[in-house]
Amino acid sequence: MGFQRYLNRESKDRDLAEEIQSHLEHEADRNLARGLADAEARRQARLKFGNPLAVRQRVWIYRSLPIVDGIFRDLRDAWRSLRRTPGLTIVALLVIALGIGVNTAVFSVVNTVLLQPLPYPDPQSLMRLVLFTPQRTLDGASVPEFNLWRQQTGVLRDVAGYDTGGAGLNLTGGDHPIQVQGVHVTHDYFTLFGAPVIAGRTFTEAEDSPHGGNVVVLSYGLWKQRFGGDRKIVGRTVQIDNTPYLVVGIIGPRFVSDNPADLWIPYQFDLTTHDMAHYFSVAARLQPGVTIEQANAQLKVASDEFRRVMPNAIGPQNHYGVVTLKEATVGDTRTPLLILLCAVGLVLLIACANVANLLLAKASGRQREFATRAALGAGRWQIIRQLLAESLMLSLSGGLLGLLLGYTSVRLLLHVNDGDLPRVGENGLAVSLDMRVLLFTFGVSVLTGILFGLVPAVSASRTNLVSNLNESGTRTGTGFRSANFRSALVITEIALALVLVVGSTLLIRTYLKLQGVDPGFDTHNTLTMAMSISGGRFQTSDPVDQIIRQGTERIKAVPGVVEAAAGNGLPLQGAFGMPFDIVGRAKGNAAFTGGAGYYSVSANYFEALKIPLLRGRTFTERDNASAPGVIIINEALAKQYWPNGDPLRDRLQKAPGSGPPFAEPPRQIVGIVGNTRDNGLDHNPFPTMYIPLAQMPDGETALNSRVAPLWWVVRTNSEPHAVVAQVTSALREATGGLPVAHIRTMDEIDSLTVSRQRFNMLLLTVFGASGLLLAAVGIYGLMAFSVEQRTQELGIRMAMGAQTSHLRNMVLRQGMVLTVFGVAIGIGAAFWLTRFLASFLFGVEKWDPLAFLLTPLLLSVVALVATWIPAVRATRVDPMTALRFE
Amino acid sequence: MARNKTPDAGEILQGTLDLLILRTLILGPAHGHTIAHSIESTSENALEVEQGSLYPALHRLEDRGLVSSEWGVSDNNRRAKFYRLTAKGHKELAAATSRWRRMTRAIGLILGESNG
Repeated sequence: MGFQRYLNRESKDRDLAEEIQSHLEHEADRNLARGLADAEARRQARLKFGNPLAVRQRVWIYRSLPIVDGIFRDLRDAWRSLRRTPGLTIVALLVIALGIGVNTAVFSVVNTVLLQPLPYPDPQSLMRLVLFTPQRTLDGASVPEFNLWRQQTGVLRDVAGYDTGGAGLNLTGGDHPIQVQGVHVTHDYFTLFGAPVIAGRTFTEAEDSPHGGNVVVLSYGLWKQRFGGDRKIVGRTVQIDNTPYLVVGIIGPRFVSDNPADLWIPYQFDLTTHDMAHYFSVAARLQPGVTIEQANAQLKVASDEFRRVMPNAIGPQNHYGVVTLKEATVGDTRTPLLILLCAVGLVLLIACANVANLLLAKASGRQREFATRAALGAGRWQIIRQLLAESLMLSLSGGLLGLLLGYTSVRLLLHVNDGDLPRVGENGLAVSLDMRVLLFTFGVSVLTGILFGLVPAVSASRTNLVSNLNESGTRTGTGFRSANFRSALVITEIALALVLVVGSTLLIRTYLKLQGVDPGFDTHNTLTMAMSISGGRFQTSDPVDQIIRQGTERIKAVPGVVEAAAGNGLPLQGAFGMPFDIVGRAKGNAAFTGGAGYYSVSANYFEALKIPLLRGRTFTERDNASAPGVIIINEALAKQYWPNGDPLRDRLQKAPGSGPPFAEPPRQIVGIVGNTRDNGLDHNPFPTMYIPLAQMPDGETALNSRVAPLWWVVRTNSEPHAVVAQVTSALREATGGLPVAHIRTMDEIDSLTVSRQRFNMLLLTVFGASGLLLAAVGIYGLMAFSVEQRTQELGIRMAMGAQTSHLRNMVLRQGMVLTVFGVAIGIGAAFWLTRFLASFLFGVEKWDPLAFLLTPLLLSVVALVATWIPAVRATRVDPMTALRFE
Repeated sequence: MARNKTPDAGEILQGTLDLLILRTLILGPAHGHTIAHSIESTSENALEVEQGSLYPALHRLEDRGLVSSEWGVSDNNRRAKFYRLTAKGHKELAAATSRWRRMTRAIGLILGESNG
């Protein structure tokens, strides 16, 4: 009501003016009728009415809201005041925009990755099934485990398995086959994630059983692109790896799957199998009312039962349990993201200190203005309010700039390097400005506005009327307390900047160390590509071996190619794990001698990657299915299990005790090769074994073909991208038209493995540099202001015969004292804070002497330069001007 | 700046003015000029209102929903804003009248007049 009245008041006033006019005319009419002359009639009417303006004013005041009017007046005054000092205003705006921009950028990532709920119905009850071991939490699953979890209906429902990576399938039929991302899932998958079906249906339980037929569910994207969005496709068949698959349904566009998928195919698990291979993930929903603790307790009991049925399947210390799906997805990104958020918090604090200093400087030049206002009756609160309006106007416009800056930069950054972050989407497109980010930026803007505005406002309002009015001119000196406070602000800035720069130095050093790590093979001039071999053709080892022979032969004929090979995995990307026994060696109570990563590889695999052979021999074409079984181990495995003996004398039984598809006789160790870093460059090499692809048991090949692509490795003698077209067409000819995907050089894969470290390093370096820059601006601003304030004093000193060098050194000393204090405090703080970075460091101690020596030095030099300019200016003071200044 | 107030012998209490306006409007819609003269004449010129002070009162009454207004044409063939008593205004008039009666009676008793 009141507000409505307020908003209408201008039109109402016009209305009233007209009404008054009408009244006066009526009264004049009446007077005319009484026989008065025209002019007199009007005069009498006005006299009788009283003052029309006074009437309008009374109505106007009655219609106004004093608070709103006050705010408008404050904003208008603030705008004028900011315009009076454009330089200062622009610097302050840029500083705030930088401070708020970096916060918006990091927060928008935190929001997308950590805060937004998973895009599924009731996301809190979605769980990932895991194995808890005393050391860590493992989240792969095997069919017997999946079956066990499915039976825990008291605590879990909609238990669903799905591919962790996805094999890649070839959508054939039509002119050019394409490789698509096919994800195997169990039939409960769609119910679990609440996938919206827009046509047809999802898999039935029968279709998800062995021999359930070939059925497929299409994603919206594939349906639109490949099938033109034709609903009639449901019920028809499509060709996948030259096998007809019945399309049973289409999933809606808004469904975001854990792994991006073009289509889904049922797993068709044989639930009676004892095959303990871990190759998929399992998620489930808690039954209504069941807590995570209850589910974990129940699963622990189930683990004990499982151990009785499947001895040696899980260690005595280990047991199954659940973690929330969100935690499983984003858990390991939380700490680095929070560290980055703290880092930008520091940048913002520095920015605040900076702007507070600028405003203090400005306020100290306005003492007389405030004194005059106070003399005219402005209360203390009114002066504080006006200055706060000024700082809020600054911080809010800075915040708006920061929002734009932050959003553009986060987009740019994620486009260049998404840091291997989950949930940010392709090129970080999922990072958006939602309500939460907007509110965050708004809140931060208001908070910073108050933070940097309150101190100058309160100190300005504490003016001594008489003394300020009596002082001449505008250059009244700042009070001692205010000067001290400003020095403290600069010291804080330097200390905070030091912390940031130490942090970024540590991460830069880590990154450089990682760059220096030998991956164990030659990443240069190496091209890799993935080929899906999921079709029925490749359920046994022989045809796989055959296409590799034909393929490598054709590739080697391409000019520029030196060597070619294939395998079921690549170094740096992680391998499957498998237990093994060493024949004839006692293993005590343990189920196996040990476990290792394993690859099945073609002949010349080591030559193509230039993995060095240390002893024995590598695989040749003669290591085929009819030849005796052989195996090659890496140095790590050899060192761990043969600290003294000779591995080449021993035989190794892989996957002992496993069922028929994997059963095979022991293999002779024929060679030892160098280590490759498959768990990332920052981890020690893992024991690994290599088996000739041609000698793989058929059952294992069938499983591999379903869950992983075949990786081709091509070594060239020049820039590898140059041969891509010829190699892919050679492969297509050799394999009867199979397409390849994920074409990358080994150098690119190498750089991907450190993308998260690079992401953290890049960001922290940007923040460190921002902090350094802001601190430099801060100390420069303070010293420049101080020199200006002391113009008179400097002039007198000079007139008295002071040396210019003496004056310069005086200013420099003042600046460097602040710097030394700031650096000392900063070193202390950094020393304590770097512990939080410890887990992200590699090859660098958290008290790395280089970082702790170099950074203070760098900071001091920057501070010296920032102080030098005002110091030199101090020596240029002309005594005459300075003395006449007043 | 204009002078805000003219201290005036005929200035009447705000609440009273509201009551008089409402009372005048019970005879039918009227514009400000009519209301002013009506109050003047029915009170035998005892209450000589400074005509301008009528308008803040009218606008307040309109905001309170006691009267409504619309532009129309007066007997003099001039544009004028006519005020009309709303249902709420009728109720308020009845309540205010009885309040007024109680008060004048009480004051009369205190001043020792016989209840007439």
